[in-house]
Amino acid sequence: MTVSLATLPLGQRARIARIDWPSLSPDEGRRLRELGLMEDVEVEALHRGSLFSRDPLAVKIGRMQVVIRGRHAAAIMVDVLAQDAVAA
Amino acid sequence: MTAAAPLVALVGNPNAGKSSLFNALTGARQKIANYPGVTVERKSGRTTFADGRPVELIDLPGSYSLTPASPDEAVTRDVVLGRQDGERRPDALIIVVDAGNLANHLCFALELIAHGLPTVIALNMVDMARRDGLEIDAARLAADLGVSVVETVAVRRRGLADVMAALDVAILAGARPATAAPTTDRALHDRARALATAATLSEKPVERWTATLDRIVLHPVGGFLILLALLFVMFQAVYAWSEAPIGWIEASVSAAQQAVSAALPDGFWRGLIVEGVLAGVGGVIVFLPQILILFLFILLLEATGYMTRAAFLMDGLMARVGLSGRGFIPLLSSFACAIPGIMATRAIPDAKDRLTTILIAPLMTCSARLPVYTVIIGAFIPDRTVAGTPVGLQGLVLLGLYLSGIIGALLVALLLRRTVTRGSAAGIMMELPRYQAPRVGDILLGLWQRAWAFLRRAGTIIMATTVVLWLLLSYPKVPIGSAQSQTDYSVAGRIASGLEVVIRPIGFNRDIALALIPAMAAREVAVAALATANAVDANGDEAAMAKTLGDTLAGKWSLATALAFLAWFVFAPQCISTIAVVRRETNSWRWPLFMVGYLFALAYAAAGLTYWVAVGLGLG
Repeated sequence: MTVSLATLPLGQRARIARIDWPSLSPDEGRRLRELGLMEDVEVEALHRGSLFSRDPLAVKIGRMQVVIRGRHAAAIMVDVLAQDAVAA
Repeated sequence: MTAAAPLVALVGNPNAGKSSLFNALTGARQKIANYPGVTVERKSGRTTFADGRPVELIDLPGSYSLTPASPDEAVTRDVVLGRQDGERRPDALIIVVDAGNLANHLCFALELIAHGLPTVIALNMVDMARRDGLEIDAARLAADLGVSVVETVAVRRRGLADVMAALDVAILAGARPATAAPTTDRALHDRARALATAATLSEKPVERWTATLDRIVLHPVGGFLILLALLFVMFQAVYAWSEAPIGWIEASVSAAQQAVSAALPDGFWRGLIVEGVLAGVGGVIVFLPQILILFLFILLLEATGYMTRAAFLMDGLMARVGLSGRGFIPLLSSFACAIPGIMATRAIPDAKDRLTTILIAPLMTCSARLPVYTVIIGAFIPDRTVAGTPVGLQGLVLLGLYLSGIIGALLVALLLRRTVTRGSAAGIMMELPRYQAPRVGDILLGLWQRAWAFLRRAGTIIMATTVVLWLLLSYPKVPIGSAQSQTDYSVAGRIASGLEVVIRPIGFNRDIALALIPAMAAREVAVAALATANAVDANGDEAAMAKTLGDTLAGKWSLATALAFLAWFVFAPQCISTIAVVRRETNSWRWPLFMVGYLFALAYAAAGLTYWVAVGLGLG
């Protein structure tokens, strides 16, 4: 199942299928890649927003936690991974 | 071999522990300057090889790659490539990587290694990685990368000698041929990940502490309440913990005044020392305990990694007014002082986002305003708790003043982002570092630096202005038998009379007119100025001398005037140093002048509104 990272339920692991690079500015795109967000990488949505807003989104990627805005997450399409398929 | 000490640059990702390593290697032998033309700090320091030969180290701004996203990162690139004005190309690099985040940090390391400079990799924070269940094979990594890899724990000063030894060997071996780094981000990441995987001996996928804590701290509702509670405790503590030390300082100043009065005959010198220097400077030093308590909290929140969590929680709210959570850290630092806050905005990548953050930073209540708030609150707000709760009314009013500044700032930002700083939507992309136990030594060093900076101000700018003000207040002497007070008759009193015409409509009196002029130099001088003016008027009258400044004001000002004065200082004219730093950071006079203008207008309006409403409610 492919969904946008912006709508991925918290705690759900997924693999990035494709990123709509043209919808991001070149700088934003580069920053995402520097933080390790690119195709084929496994991510997990950890925390989303606070009292006043659904922004931003904290994503676990490798051993790192990265914060992005919902606008960026909307450009990232992910394949949801079945929980048992995740390597322990 | 060159005759000069080799220049070695420390480079690495943000949060790799680069500055800790720099501090550990150089100790107190540091020099902070600016790169020419840009406002990026150049931190350099000296250390030695085991045999005593000197090495010059520079600490470059943390960066994710050699393609810069901010002015800070541009300096990192230019220094590494030897293109930075005023800096020779480094003879070697120490690349600092976080052992717990190897795959990501190796990307930048690979880019750097490709340039062929003699290089040592400091595999830092190995202790935390181990705690997280991660074992890294440093030898394997070194073999794969072709440069030495040394395990370090900078905050515990472990591995320092090994780094220096490896550096010595690397410099002697000379430059390596430049190699081709993978050309696309994709290929670079794949290579970094492959290297990290190969060098990882064992890995448990858990980072329990951080994950568990984050579930609580970043909870959409609970996390926000924790943040508010922390801020609340912080501002209550500023009052509760400072009571005793303030008492000691007041007692010492008053003892010093009595000693001088007893030792010197009545005259110019006695007046200058007792009423000018001791009353003025003493009136400001009394706030040292509160400033230190505030900084203690800010330093602790930074050192533990909580600050970025606060940025996460605040980002949604800040997005509404066109800012990003990245601006939260500079703004929170501005509670201590707007100057480091404004300098911290350099980390904000978007230019318009950054400019807006700079323009609203002075609305955050800096510690220099604390003395003003404390005196007025102490004099006019009763020291009691609110309706059966242990919450102090004075602390609550203080919190209210801070909140007014914040709300004002958010509204101003909203307005600016739709008018003068209109631009692309700001974003936030940052890393949430792992939680860390703060190091007592680092916190104490930070507190000491703050205390010293404050005392130096008290001893220089504040002392000079209070002495000048005392002279202006004391001369010419009022004729014996005149109905006028000494203050009214003096030069300063006459200047204030002119200013008073302008500020009379918003409920301000001559005392305030007198205090506002020197307060432009440093805000806390307002208190010193009030203290000096009162000391001059009390001359000879022992009962009046014995009264504290607060008691005197409570007898002279109406509540409406006091509230208007507080409202003025929420938005008020910033100190001259802040204006200077905005000029430097924005590289023009346009923005600092704009800032001064809008702040004056806002302060005048806020004070006026407060006064008129208070008078309307019968508090005049």
